[in-house]
Amino acid sequence: MSDGQADQAIQFKGIEQRKPNFKLGPITLDIPKGFITAIVGPNGSGKSTLFRMVLDLEKPQEGTVHVLDHRIGSGDDAPVKQRIGYLPEESLLHDDKIKAFEKARFNSYWYRNWDVNRYQELLLGLQVNDNLPLGKMSKGMRRKCEFALALAHAPDLLLLDEPSSGLDPLAWKAMIEMLHRYMEHGDRTILMTSHIVEEVKRLADYIVFMAQGRVLGVYEKDELFSSWFTFFISGEGLSAQTASTMPGQCGVESIGGHSFRITTSKALQADQWCVAEGITIISKQALELDEIMSTLLQQDGISKRVHEARGNSR
Amino acid sequence: MRLPIGINEQSAEPLYHQIEVQLRALIVSGQLAEGTLLPSIRELAQTVKCSVITVKRVYSDLESEGLLRTRQGTGTYVAKVGEQERDRHRLTAVVEALDQAVTTGKRNQCSEEEMIELFNEAIQKHYRQGGKTS
Repeated sequence: MSDGQADQAIQFKGIEQRKPNFKLGPITLDIPKGFITAIVGPNGSGKSTLFRMVLDLEKPQEGTVHVLDHRIGSGDDAPVKQRIGYLPEESLLHDDKIKAFEKARFNSYWYRNWDVNRYQELLLGLQVNDNLPLGKMSKGMRRKCEFALALAHAPDLLLLDEPSSGLDPLAWKAMIEMLHRYMEHGDRTILMTSHIVEEVKRLADYIVFMAQGRVLGVYEKDELFSSWFTFFISGEGLSAQTASTMPGQCGVESIGGHSFRITTSKALQADQWCVAEGITIISKQALELDEIMSTLLQQDGISKRVHEARGNSR
Repeated sequence: MRLPIGINEQSAEPLYHQIEVQLRALIVSGQLAEGTLLPSIRELAQTVKCSVITVKRVYSDLESEGLLRTRQGTGTYVAKVGEQERDRHRLTAVVEALDQAVTTGKRNQCSEEEMIELFNEAIQKHYRQGGKTS
């Protein structure tokens, strides 16, 4: 167990939190060191709460959070926080009145590794001027400043909550490149959330699906995208019943005659199955991230209902 | 350096395999000379738009085939490829492409005779007419 810990940047163990209108967990989740992990899921699935738990801004009622081999909330968290960069989803209201460069000066006081040259370089790369009160800036401009502020102390762990909201396409591209450059330094880690499919595709190594306070699954990105396909198949006397036995089948739809449209989570096996069954593959199409997510949610809903129905019958 | 590697997201072929085949061809054909420093794992992942996990796998596969070598701390280089090795690898890409072509033919209900006829036509086009191929 102990050797595994060194490879994880963050470990959530049995996290639970109950609020009057929301229940999070139980969640056990490892965020590997040296990789970019993206959490995706509908609004209100508990992503931001997880982020806040890493920083001890919120405490779980059950379970523990380990960050960079330090248990959060046990003794002094400050040395670990020195190594974290955090870009929250919402800008902080009490920052509105101060100018960005004043905020930078404030950060430089607290972060031992604050690098003013790096900060300037980031501002330059994003083409933003920090001589304005944060509250007076446009949403995108403020986002850029906050992004530079979160990165300027070269943190080992970067927490990015919806980093690109409000950015124009050029700034977005610059941000993606900066994050790639940041990761060149082999043992750094990014944990991020995003609703933008393209952003997840460009950045993530691992994808975590969350919904309703639970983790639905953790996947290696390329494996995920190469597993989920929609097949259009047809065959002499092919019935819906046979079609539904395709490996990984998550939905069959008749498209007339003996042809069917099937979504599968096991593309490779499905391919081999078609060959073995003598079924013709008319075409196949990779699923997009949002399509995978909605299928997973649907499946989760079904399995939950079945589960509950079983529970009731006892 | 930017490697001329492209991927087909619509193919059911695993990504690592697609990249591996192309990178191997670049090395074996001599387009990437011995000693060439390859892009870092993160860099290649970024240009190909795949995860670093996939690129790591490609590099380590090709390293165990003796086509690449990694020097700690400096990066991954193209190794010396012997004549024998070159010959062995030279045809793998070709075999694969032909296999792909036949699969496509079958999908479109081509008969065996038709396939052979098409193959001969292609040979005619590339080797006999005009004579030169590059």
